[in-house]
Amino acid sequence: MIKISNLSYAYTKNTPIFSEINLEFDRRSTAIIGQNGAGKTTLAKLLKGLLKPFDGEIMIGQYNVKTVSAAELSKVIGLVFQNPNDQIFKSKVLDEVMFGPLAIKMSESAAKKNALEALELVGLHEQLETNPHDLSLSEKKLLCVAAVVAMDPEIIVFDEPTIGQDYAGKEKIRNIIQVLKKRNKLVMTIIHDMDFVAENFERTIVINEGIVILDGDTRKVFAEREILKHAHVEDPSITQLGKVLGFQETFLTVEEFVQRWKQSQR
Amino acid sequence: MKSISLYTDRKSVLHSLDPINKLYYIAFAIFIPIILPSIEISLACVALSFTLLISGKVFTKTMPAFGVVLFTLLTVILIQGLFRPGNATILFQAGPFTMYREGLLYASILSLRVINIVSSFMILVLTTSPSDLVDSLVRKGMSPRIGYVISSVFQIIPEMMAAMETITDAQRARGMETEGNLRVRIRAFFPLLGPVVLGSLINTKERAMALEVRGFNAKSPKTYLLDQKQYRFSTVIQWGILFVIGCAIVWRLAS
Repeated sequence: MIKISNLSYAYTKNTPIFSEINLEFDRRSTAIIGQNGAGKTTLAKLLKGLLKPFDGEIMIGQYNVKTVSAAELSKVIGLVFQNPNDQIFKSKVLDEVMFGPLAIKMSESAAKKNALEALELVGLHEQLETNPHDLSLSEKKLLCVAAVVAMDPEIIVFDEPTIGQDYAGKEKIRNIIQVLKKRNKLVMTIIHDMDFVAENFERTIVINEGIVILDGDTRKVFAEREILKHAHVEDPSITQLGKVLGFQETFLTVEEFVQRWKQSQR
Repeated sequence: MKSISLYTDRKSVLHSLDPINKLYYIAFAIFIPIILPSIEISLACVALSFTLLISGKVFTKTMPAFGVVLFTLLTVILIQGLFRPGNATILFQAGPFTMYREGLLYASILSLRVINIVSSFMILVLTTSPSDLVDSLVRKGMSPRIGYVISSVFQIIPEMMAAMETITDAQRARGMETEGNLRVRIRAFFPLLGPVVLGSLINTKERAMALEVRGFNAKSPKTYLLDQKQYRFSTVIQWGILFVIGCAIVWRLAS
């Protein structure tokens, strides 16, 4: 779905963020992890067309990111920003969600239909007339998710979706990701919450100082403890627990761990 | 984050001077050419300011400011030279236009004063870090509250500019075109303005609360976080400038 070839980018001369990166994305849900400043957000902005590569190219389907605007790319790739206050400006929840679909020239009826479906998905369908600024931070983040889902892009990138979310909020995000996966969307995230990555994403890419140092199935990636340590990335809690208790396997979920632990007790 | 301060870090005597001295110099640069309104005095003051800027290794940094100022002054010179009431002595003619000596002289003095004032302010802003200036003023008795307002401007404006970039990205990510003809830009205005204003209000409220919980409004005397910088010759320079201004006043009254 996405092909990155020899991508190079720098904010300032002589301090490259990426040098000749090559990556391909299929429909597997993908988490991009790494310490702060590793280049994760820059990569997401490059994919979304908010930044343009210096060298190399990014192809999303038929679109060459370098030659089309971020607004045009919205039909194929959506980015949910970390801070909901950066985008909310309408006085009603429904209007806020309809803004994106209308901006990409969807008909009003289709925009409304998509908006209502997206709001139902995130659990805000009973607050259509509410002023978005009266929502809690967690609800505002869900509203921003709905605003992107309503545009029906093939690819959705979440920037730190779990920050500011309580348990119920995380469960909602988890559910949204599962639904999007079932709809055959490519779901990507930039995230520091390793437990969430382990439980929800099939593929994990580790970036360190602008270089992809690990890329593969999430279980295989979290098995590479030394490399992760070098990249200042912490294992998921359940993976750490398994290692501390002497298990050879790399656990990604509590269920896996409990099952294996019960076997070992027999 | 980009800074809005024009301060240029260099190693020079000018940089090591007390910021208060530079404020005294601004007073000197404003008053001396007014008290002694001759073109020679104005020229001498400009020469002094330029020498100070060169010694501070920041003269080239003044070019953008002087570019704007000189363009404005050029219009003053033309209007005064051509049309000032009392123009009598013809200097030269260009087609239908006649340039007069009196108008040109008057505009030159005016221009030199402006250049001198701009130079003195450039000496202050290019060779003094805003935090050092505020620190010196607060130690001299200025209200810490006003000091905070001044220094916070240098933080808040770059923060707002960064926030504006993020907000623009967030709206572009939702399919909004922000670049193009005037109509496109006007349509993009409200989706950008709302989050910027709201974000600023939220930040201001949070900043005020953060200050309050840290005792900003406490009535007791403040303790300074940083040691007071020791500046050499401060008193001598300040009294020297006051003495020169005093002499100029006496000279003017006597002559």
